[in-house]
Amino acid sequence: MKKLLWQKHAIFQRAEFLSAKDMMQRAAAISGLFLLVHLAGFREFTGILNGTIGSLSLGWNLSAFLAVIYIAFYLAFVLLVPVLILAAVILKVGQRFHRKSSS
Amino acid sequence: MKARMKRILAGLAALVVAALIWLPCLHFIFTRPVSKFRGEQGLSPEARQLAARHLRLWTEPALRETELNKMRVSNAEWDFMGRSYLVWSLANMALRDPASKPTYLRTMDQIIDETLRLEKQEGMYFFLMSYAKDSRYVMQPAHSLFLDGEIALMLASRRMVEEKPEYKPLLAERVNAMVERFQKSRRMILESYPDQCWMFDHCVALDAMMMADHLDGTDHSALIHQWLAMAKQKLVDPKSGLMISSFTTDGTPLDGPEGSTIWMVTHSLQLLDEDFARDQYQRARKELGAITLGFGYAHEWPKSWPGAPDIDSGPIIPVFDVSAGSSGMAFIGASSFGDDKFLASLAATLDFAGFPSRSGGRLKYCASNQVGDAALLYATTLGPLWKKVKAGTTQ
Repeated sequence: MKKLLWQKHAIFQRAEFLSAKDMMQRAAAISGLFLLVHLAGFREFTGILNGTIGSLSLGWNLSAFLAVIYIAFYLAFVLLVPVLILAAVILKVGQRFHRKSSS
Repeated sequence: MKARMKRILAGLAALVVAALIWLPCLHFIFTRPVSKFRGEQGLSPEARQLAARHLRLWTEPALRETELNKMRVSNAEWDFMGRSYLVWSLANMALRDPASKPTYLRTMDQIIDETLRLEKQEGMYFFLMSYAKDSRYVMQPAHSLFLDGEIALMLASRRMVEEKPEYKPLLAERVNAMVERFQKSRRMILESYPDQCWMFDHCVALDAMMMADHLDGTDHSALIHQWLAMAKQKLVDPKSGLMISSFTTDGTPLDGPEGSTIWMVTHSLQLLDEDFARDQYQRARKELGAITLGFGYAHEWPKSWPGAPDIDSGPIIPVFDVSAGSSGMAFIGASSFGDDKFLASLAATLDFAGFPSRSGGRLKYCASNQVGDAALLYATTLGPLWKKVKAGTTQ
């Protein structure tokens, strides 16, 4: 089967679960999604955290929904992405060390 | 299969190690020198940016209306308190930055005039939560110490920066009316809502009286001392030693000590009784303040007197028991008492979880609102006004 151009890049190729590549792919996906919701202006709705409506025209429910999406991706970006990248580096270093010591 | 399990276990172990490395380091990204937040002299960068956003709100009516309406949907008090905190902040800013005094005074006058107009036109209930209408005030005619105290402190703060003759009778009238009611009350306790009295409002009202004494040569020191003696005896939680936040007109506690009240109370008390203020701050810091992995925050209630979340506490984040309301007000306490370690850690949390939004030299915290940002602005600027009152000078 012929692969699309973007599918030929290593980062987009299917990786084994919890491998270094898998972690980097997840980190990239979270970062991309966070960038999208950030550029879409969802940050403005986080006033819901102190009980203030994000937008009078959108109403409570939609404002709260957009706030929850933003907060979830923000926390994932700040907490999870660095952990995934660090873990990927640790795995790579570990694998290299393991290969060297067994050869 | 065995190789797959081995790989997954290795991945999980790497994730755990990475988390153990990252989480304790996270606060370094958000922690800044405390001078960025508040300086002894002049205005800090944070204060300038927060103020720029607020000043813009008062020059663009449409923008102001949107912001205030967003808050009024939840709580009409916030509209009023946002005005108070901004006026008090601008008074401190005018003393810190004399070159910009004309701009600050103009905005202070605009806020005070509009607030007085709305109070007169719409009545006192305009700035109160709807339950104020549910029952009758015990003391008649009905007055809210919440409104009278904060308006008096706004007028006094403006006059402390520069005299404005039109405000002199307005302040005297407001203070005299409060004094009269204090004398009429058997226990020296006044209502903000029907048979609901707040420590916050009493302390602010007494601050206004003390400022009026400095401005107009009156003397309310006996009343202030008498009230403090009563409060120390009757309105302190015996377990934590902290002042309770709300009570009925006969002094029966409604809420125990609360973070959303006590931090501002400690600041207000600085003007009335410095030693007692410091004692209350240290107790509040011990009972309510916390720093975890470099991030500072505050609980709403001490362990000895748990309560239920309400409009003042804001949402409570479980596990760490973080109160948005208490954490925001903790900035005022930490700033008042020069608790730089706590202040820097609170500021780190604010930058981490407050969702700052900067544009055109203006700053707002998206997770906050106008009143929250005004209280933060106050924390970045407070000091000079209290110092001036204590020094006994008006010019």
